[in-house]
Amino acid sequence: MNIKIHTKRRALVAFMLDQPGVLNKVSMLIRRKMYNVDTITVCKTRTLGISRMTLTLCEDSDDKLNQVLKQIEKMTEVISAKELDIDQSFWREVGLVKFEADKDHFKQLSEHYSFDILDRQNHEIYIVQLSGTSKTIDDFLKDIGDEKIIDMARSGLTTLEK
Amino acid sequence: MKGTELVIKALMDKGVKYIFGYTGGAIMPIFDEMEKKQCFSFMMARHEQGAAFMAQGISRASLSTDNPQVGVCMATSGPGAMNLVTGVADAGMDSVPLIAITGQVPTHVIATDAFQESDVVGVMMPLTKQAYMLQDVNIIEETIHDAFFLASSGRGGPVVIDIPKDVQIDETQSDYTFKAHEYVPDIPGFFYSPFPERDAIQKAVALINRSERPIIICGHGVICSNAGKLLRQFIEKTNIPICFTLHGLSALPVDHPLSLGMVGMHGTVAANRTLPQADLIISLGMRFDDRVTGNLEKFGVRAKIIHVEIDPSEIDKNVKTTVAIHADTKEALVRLIKDPELISKPRRLWFEQVDAFRRERLDELEAELKRGTGKQGQLLMKTIVRKLSDITLGKDIIVSDVGQHQMTLARFYNFQTVNSWFTSGGAGTMGCALPMAVGVKLVRPHERVWAICGDGGFQMNIQELGTIMEYETDLKILLFNNGYLGMVRQWQTLFYDGRFAGTPLKNPDFGFIAKAYGIPYSKVATLEEIEPALTNAADHKGACLVEFLCDPSEVILPMVPSGGSLEDMIISLSDKRISPA
Ligand SMILES: Cc1ncc(C[n+]2csc(CCOP(=O)(O)OP(=O)(O)O)c2C)c(N)n1
Ligand SMILES: [Mg+2]
Repeated sequence: MNIKIHTKRRALVAFMLDQPGVLNKVSMLIRRKMYNVDTITVCKTRTLGISRMTLTLCEDSDDKLNQVLKQIEKMTEVISAKELDIDQSFWREVGLVKFEADKDHFKQLSEHYSFDILDRQNHEIYIVQLSGTSKTIDDFLKDIGDEKIIDMARSGLTTLEK
Repeated sequence: MKGTELVIKALMDKGVKYIFGYTGGAIMPIFDEMEKKQCFSFMMARHEQGAAFMAQGISRASLSTDNPQVGVCMATSGPGAMNLVTGVADAGMDSVPLIAITGQVPTHVIATDAFQESDVVGVMMPLTKQAYMLQDVNIIEETIHDAFFLASSGRGGPVVIDIPKDVQIDETQSDYTFKAHEYVPDIPGFFYSPFPERDAIQKAVALINRSERPIIICGHGVICSNAGKLLRQFIEKTNIPICFTLHGLSALPVDHPLSLGMVGMHGTVAANRTLPQADLIISLGMRFDDRVTGNLEKFGVRAKIIHVEIDPSEIDKNVKTTVAIHADTKEALVRLIKDPELISKPRRLWFEQVDAFRRERLDELEAELKRGTGKQGQLLMKTIVRKLSDITLGKDIIVSDVGQHQMTLARFYNFQTVNSWFTSGGAGTMGCALPMAVGVKLVRPHERVWAICGDGGFQMNIQELGTIMEYETDLKILLFNNGYLGMVRQWQTLFYDGRFAGTPLKNPDFGFIAKAYGIPYSKVATLEEIEPALTNAADHKGACLVEFLCDPSEVILPMVPSGGSLEDMIISLSDKRISPA
């Protein structure tokens, strides 16, 4: 296979018209450039009709990434696109986890992590909501233990500059 | 008002004169309205791809006239729209403004696999500047105005408007108004800045003044911004040699003393030898396509690079620039020429070197041109083109298909008229020439138009002979028949040990075909017949077809092997064979 493995994770933020097809266009470009999208989130902004898209992917070359940004910016629905410097911005996601835990284990988890309990069945099965860096959520899942997790969902990253 | 009336009104307001298309269920209401209004010259292509290329011809050829127009084509939903795709994609690759209007199945059955439904926006989106599907009759006019604005502003390109049949026949609200002449498109994500920044111009001027071995690459942007005259002033003022991309040709007379001809895969020896030696490359409205640069790692390694380009996403894409001038080529040239600091230098050593490159292989080439036939006595394309160039004084319009004949025209036609060379470059779509020439002739009626095809490409849109017959289009069609898909055969000769897989063609009797369409025909097999046949064709009023029996073993050289650098250029068949990348 002729695929290069990139290790540097990058976050792109783009502001765009809130219209059908725009997400399709951006993701089509990313595919055409042969990237795998790691996460993608879209939300409204304070300006009516403008959405904010955060997309993470792996690319080691700055030049290549700039090209992607410029091609995203070229789309007629995109107002602006930029890369967020990992040291100058917060990258966060939300995890929803349904898992099994006995009293002690649950106590341990609540001492280490701050999460909201959304549901509790038979005092043994929980659904909780945790937000933080991807690593925090990874760690949380590890501490629960794979065999105890019944189901889980992660929102993908959203980001904000300092 | 009704949707169909608004479509027609918007097209009229945008100055559309010609519509090329093919009808069908989902576009019938619009066709019907056109028939009622009789406000356009409608031409029915024999295949939707033909309609798209005809519309391209309008845009490409009219941009240098007093009345630049955007070509418009129309098709029905499903198969009609899908048949447009190649022509639309081709327009995108060559930055040609184009509007394609397609009928769509009614809104309430969209996405149910209704009869003749296809996802036009989904298919066209990655190929166009914008693809709209209209869901509301009240925004028809506005959208069409936006579409014209997008297609023709900044870097040109195609825009598709897909209109469901129910929207076409809907009535607008009672308070509907639209002031076409006051309307200013507001497209928040579309930016383009034609004017260069002063800082970039100053930096460029400093680089130019300092350079001892500069070269200019003239690209399609010079043609599109209609800056041929300015370019000429610029090179003469600065005394800098110039070469051309395929689409840069005809920006100025190609025999200008500073011209080295085309550069790249099938460029001239002079251009391909000079470029790697340059210490400064000034690229005007071009995008460093791989057919121009060859191996990027070895491209321009000794040179600083000034890149003038209207599309910011092209800057630093393939080649890292020293100074980027993000602007319309014409505006950049105006500023550069006017800059009081810009100087002319004799650059004697550089021109001595360049002149030595010009002489390389020249005698052999002239001998070949003079001989004019291959080993079996069949005609050489280059000799025919040289004769055509002589007879027309290089002043006529050339519309070329794709293949060896195309590269031969690019190399040997002595282009004198600004914007007189039309072909499919970026996409290299065989079959483009015949329909494109139809559009070209409409907007340049007083110039002679030659449509030149290979035997392969001619048969890809041969059905458009019907259009030419019906509308009595005055085209001089030249068919360079070598019995092969020649350009591919050339690669097979050079890189695949001469195994001719899928390239020999059993051809029909083209004389009968011409006759069937009522088009005068002649066949040329010998050197002596070339000139009279061309002169006859030139003098003939109306369409005619001249078939030349060409030597299949002629190869168009030099050739830079795909993936090789300009310095790896093969200049004679005895060069060692290089395997393809
Ligand atoms: C639609 C399309 N299919 C295939 C090709 C690949 N191709 C490029 S040149 C060429 C041969 C063209 O043959 P012909 O039209 O006879 O011209 P010649 O090269 O012989 O002058 C082919 C097959 C193409 N460019 N376009
Ligand atoms: Mg051929």
